[in-house]
Amino acid sequence: MQLRDYILRRVIILPILILGVSIIVFVLTRVGGSPIGIYLSHEMTPDEVAQIEARFNLDQPVWVQYIYWARGIFQGDFGWSGVAAAPVTDVFPNKLAATMELAIASGLVAVFLGISLGTYAGARRNRLPDHATRIVAVSGASLPQFWFGILLLIVFWANLGLAPIGRSDASIWSSISHPTGIYTVDAILAGSISAFWDAIWHLILPALTLGYGATAIIARMMRSSLVEELQQDYVDAARAKGLAERIVLRRHARRNALVPTVTVIGLTFGFLLQGTITVEIIFRWPGLGRWMADSVLRGDQATLMTYVLFTSVLFLLVNLVVDVIYAYLDRRVTLGK
Amino acid sequence: MQPVDQEKAVQARPRPASVASVRNLRVYFQSKRGMVHAVDGVSFDIYDGETLGLVGETGCGKSVTGRSFLKLLPVPPGKIASGSIQFKPHATCRNCDGNGCPSCEGTGRQSAANSRGRSNEKGIRDSVDAEIVELLEIGREEMRRIRGDRIAMIFQDPGKALNPTLPISEQLSEVFLLHRTSELLEAAGLPASTGGALRRFASQEQRFGDSLLMALPPNRAFRNRLVGALNKMVIEALGDTQVPNPAKLMARYPHELSGGMKQRVMIAQALACNPDILIADEPTTALDVTVEARILELIKELQKKRRTSVLYISHDLSLVRRICDRVAVMYAGKVVEIGSTDAIFRDPRHPYTRGLISAVPSAGARRGELAAIRGTVPELVDPAPTCRFAGRCPFEADSCRRFEPELKPVSNGHAVACFIDSAAPSGRQPTFQSAAV
Ligand SMILES: Nc1ncnc2c1ncn2[C@@H]1O[C@H](COP(=O)(O)OP(=O)(O)OP(=O)(O)O)[C@@H](O)[C@H]1O
Ligand code: SF4
Ligand SMILES: [Mg+2]
Ligand SMILES: [Zn+2]
Repeated sequence: MQLRDYILRRVIILPILILGVSIIVFVLTRVGGSPIGIYLSHEMTPDEVAQIEARFNLDQPVWVQYIYWARGIFQGDFGWSGVAAAPVTDVFPNKLAATMELAIASGLVAVFLGISLGTYAGARRNRLPDHATRIVAVSGASLPQFWFGILLLIVFWANLGLAPIGRSDASIWSSISHPTGIYTVDAILAGSISAFWDAIWHLILPALTLGYGATAIIARMMRSSLVEELQQDYVDAARAKGLAERIVLRRHARRNALVPTVTVIGLTFGFLLQGTITVEIIFRWPGLGRWMADSVLRGDQATLMTYVLFTSVLFLLVNLVVDVIYAYLDRRVTLGK
Repeated sequence: MQPVDQEKAVQARPRPASVASVRNLRVYFQSKRGMVHAVDGVSFDIYDGETLGLVGETGCGKSVTGRSFLKLLPVPPGKIASGSIQFKPHATCRNCDGNGCPSCEGTGRQSAANSRGRSNEKGIRDSVDAEIVELLEIGREEMRRIRGDRIAMIFQDPGKALNPTLPISEQLSEVFLLHRTSELLEAAGLPASTGGALRRFASQEQRFGDSLLMALPPNRAFRNRLVGALNKMVIEALGDTQVPNPAKLMARYPHELSGGMKQRVMIAQALACNPDILIADEPTTALDVTVEARILELIKELQKKRRTSVLYISHDLSLVRRICDRVAVMYAGKVVEIGSTDAIFRDPRHPYTRGLISAVPSAGARRGELAAIRGTVPELVDPAPTCRFAGRCPFEADSCRRFEPELKPVSNGHAVACFIDSAAPSGRQPTFQSAAV
């Protein structure tokens, strides 16, 4: 099958998958209890409660409620967020931008560092660089994220005062608008170097905390698949042609070692999203993760459902992208199987 | 040990000049149990234009010997402990400057015998074209220039020896980009002294940003011409191996080709630069019999046309008998008998060779596997100075377990390492009559 047809087919299936996901999300959330709590106060009489129930169709069977909810979503109405005291759609874009900035920064760190470290170690198997990298990888995979984050905070924020906390320094940003909500981009659009550095400065510690685990996973995968590739005959055949070791590594072995690594990179994306919850709480990052945590504690179901629906769709898309990259890297993959 | 005698044994009579002389080669592998003497004092010559067969049971050190020529050994655990491999590359023919003329039989190269006093090559090939190259001593860069150009290698399984994720054309191109940069530049109408991004493009040394430079005029036009010249070279090389429709084959990936086709691509790649020596490590073991016959024919034909010497590594005695001019028999890291194919098969002198030739392949043996001889190959870890074949040899006597036989000539060009033909310093000597009942 052609790559183009394959992508097309996957895109067509996408809405069906999303429908399935939305049903599961809705049912699971309702199992957790009625969302009515967020609209109630202590002074209300049972009559008033019943009125509110009727107003939000909460007296109807679950499937009818689902249809109301789904219809709302089609009309761009994701419900009322009790936590943010505003419609979900009003708050969501900004929080999303904050989280995406964090996730992308740490994703870049993880992919770049992971692949470089893995290549470096794999090409020097069982020598000192390999052992050193293994220490980084093992600690990255086993250090609890919240602990590592707090550790960084204690050292760089509390003790050394080198790193800030939160998302930006208000005095620098007072005159800068936020067309995208992604601060690094906003700073570039505004042409302000000081704001750009401020954005980066606030990003470093959370991105490092969030990316560390993924770096470790990617580095280990890259290392082991490179070691495996380097034992293949075609590597010796490439050397027998007279290619320099550097080119044998770059053009032949590394490219093939990337094939399994790309799959792992796709999987670590989920790992990253999950991590945003912890990291945003620790570093007071005003993103989806922190909002989500508050919503869980306070039973803000509209926010919860939106978040889960959104991350599911994101996951599906990332998976698609990963599959396409995979097929591109490894032409032996028979698509559509 | 008497190296002088050994030397004599190998060079017993005047004969065509050798392109390579292996002397006392020892390759060891570090293992948990000790040093594995994978190749333990091997000496032989490869004559100009001949096919030398290297046979022996699995694990006896054939591949390690072949890979030593190109230093393609994993170090560590391996190491070349001692020895020398002297390589005498062909010089370009003085009469035709490499274009092919009657005096060089169209090969464009002088035979190794009269390579003295040849004109110097331009620039980068100088050191490689030096009279005698000591392959085990030269630096990494010099070795890289020999690999794929003067000495090439084909491997057992063509399915594994081609990179699965690069199209055929790109894999073949690499050889030309590495070794034929000047010719490529000339074919594209550029002076051979061209530098900068264009030269880096034509020698696969691209740096960051070069792809941008090459995409802009005026480089763009030259790039297209370079690519055209390169494609022409690739098509020609593929065409030489008689693949149908080489231009179409170029864009294919290895997994889209049959085994025989892949091996043809490997051969095209190996012979692209007219190497002086081709090391063929069981190139047909992974192929079926009919394909094997055609591949062998192809190697023979191309070999003749280019006057390439072939070191043919194989399990298969009958195949070796068919295609080789001379045969070296290896056992447990040593050459135990070497001679013309005729002499080896007509009058094998070493008990191991005799065993190999007379043993009927058992029904269960895989094709290409040697027939079984009773007993098993000895440990190669820190071997004692005895005959390695003692314990499996039907003729052994007590001197075989006290001394180590060395290759000694038994007739012109035929040498054997066994006490039956040249007596041990002391002790009871083995004879062909002393076979244990
Ligand atoms: N990479 C390696 N690491 C450790 N030991 C090795 C390695 N390669 C080869 N050896 C040792 O060298 C010996 C000879 O190996 P070699 O590959 O030359 O055998 P061969 O004659 O080519 O056998 P085959 O017919 O199976 O290809 C082996 O028995 C093994 O002990
Ligand atoms: S030296 Fe002795 S043991 Fe070795 S092959 Fe000859 S007869 Fe057999
Ligand atoms: Mg072998
Ligand atoms: Zn000539």
